[in-house]
Amino acid sequence: MENNIEQAPGKNRQTGPVITAVIITVILIFFTIMSLMAPGKKLKEIRLKFGPEETSENQPDERLYSDSAYMALLKERSFFQARTSMAETDSVYMTLNLSDSTANLEISGVTVHSVKISSFRFSGILKRTDDYAISSMLAQPMNITGDLATIKKEPLMVKMAPKDTSEFKPDVIPDTSNYEPVNYILEMDNGIRIYVYQTTDTLKSNNRRRFYFDLRDRLSTAWQYAKSAAMFKVPEYHPFIKIRLPKADAKIIYRALPRKGQVAVYM
Amino acid sequence: MNDNIMDDNSSYMEEGLPEGNRGGAVPEGLRSLFDKLFASPKVRKVIIRTSVITGGLLAFLLLAAFVLYIVPGMQEVVSAHRPKLLSDPELKEDKNYKKQISALSGEVQRLSRKYASYTSGQSYIVINTTDNKFFLYRNKKLIRTGLCSSGSYTMLKTEGERKWIFKTPKGKYRIQGKITSPVWRKPDWAFVEEGLPIPSATHPSRYEYGVLGDYALSIGDGYLIHGTLYKRFLGMPVTHGCIRLNDEDLEAIYNTLAVGSKVYIF
Repeated sequence: MENNIEQAPGKNRQTGPVITAVIITVILIFFTIMSLMAPGKKLKEIRLKFGPEETSENQPDERLYSDSAYMALLKERSFFQARTSMAETDSVYMTLNLSDSTANLEISGVTVHSVKISSFRFSGILKRTDDYAISSMLAQPMNITGDLATIKKEPLMVKMAPKDTSEFKPDVIPDTSNYEPVNYILEMDNGIRIYVYQTTDTLKSNNRRRFYFDLRDRLSTAWQYAKSAAMFKVPEYHPFIKIRLPKADAKIIYRALPRKGQVAVYM
Repeated sequence: MNDNIMDDNSSYMEEGLPEGNRGGAVPEGLRSLFDKLFASPKVRKVIIRTSVITGGLLAFLLLAAFVLYIVPGMQEVVSAHRPKLLSDPELKEDKNYKKQISALSGEVQRLSRKYASYTSGQSYIVINTTDNKFFLYRNKKLIRTGLCSSGSYTMLKTEGERKWIFKTPKGKYRIQGKITSPVWRKPDWAFVEEGLPIPSATHPSRYEYGVLGDYALSIGDGYLIHGTLYKRFLGMPVTHGCIRLNDEDLEAIYNTLAVGSKVYIF
């Protein structure tokens, strides 16, 4: 009898952590499965929206979409169409040519600033160059719907007007030192996210801030995924394009692009 | 005495342990330290608690790393796809295919020519307001570059409702007018920012001579490309929206650009 009583509390102490571990594992597996379903769902959405229109009169030859020459010309035409569409406005827009590793700022078809992309990578979904829908999606200019950055887009300084000449102070010489790291994310209307990270001035503090910037984005994404998974919905996947640019050029591009600017990509 | 030695030896042989290897691999001193530490209930509690907390933290970090880094990586692996682009000789002989390729190729060339025509052979100027630099082009070639000053991104506010933001607008503009020996007609903010009362529209204090340099080019909405007395601030964002240049650059730009020439500001 005494032995049985002595054993029971020990067993209770063990089952608590075990149950917790099991619950956490189940949640983790569920979260992982939902996350892995997200890219497939996004691809279906893209195909539905941008896939070829099949009519009874005009059945496309599907062999064309596997032909390298045809798809290369289609990509090129798509890129030119997007740029031509953006050139009709007088605003600044960005073109990313990942084939040449260049990022350009253009206004009405004129390249006003060009920079070499140090390195880049992009989502598996966007690597489907044999997919008509992907090419079709990239044929249209992407509109920026939001951004997150480590620098201000417009570094506005507020100055209160003096009441009289005795209160007047000459303007302060602006601080043009370049100490802030430049990293930003541009969110597009088609769900693609463009990440821009600086490459130069890689001080340890800049590396640390880039890590925290990236961590913040990952936490935000994980939270969105968790919320969707909790409601038994497949989370929304955002295909990405991550590029690295010299710091000065990254800053120029970010400050030049309007808040609701446009971007065209050639892959 | 010999019997005793023999007895001692036989006891060792029975145990099977050679002399000197008793106590395993842990040094004797360390063992006694551990024994002393774990003998104390308080120390034992602290050690156990620390181990549990450390273990918990490690588990949490592993979990976070899995959710934040491994799952996104797995997403890319799952969605990775090698494009199956082929060059089918049979397809290439197809008349319809040749027609499609020809049409597409023609369209690409047409779009390429159209896009190239956007860059005019006429003179134009490009202004970089982040770096405060200008680039002057003629016949699609860069002929001059230098420093300028652009808007300071200052917001001037009064106690009332009035406010002004001093920034250079971005986009495509055209030279709308060119003048020599320009006179600055001071707007209201020029008086407000100095704490001066705002005079009437035609008051003589509205006009300031010699502050805009020898030339000025208007790009519309009151924005000018002009000279400056404050040459040491060239390369910095210090203006109220206009673009300031030094005397030599201003003269070159004035002589190169015509009314209608394009100005690209970014």
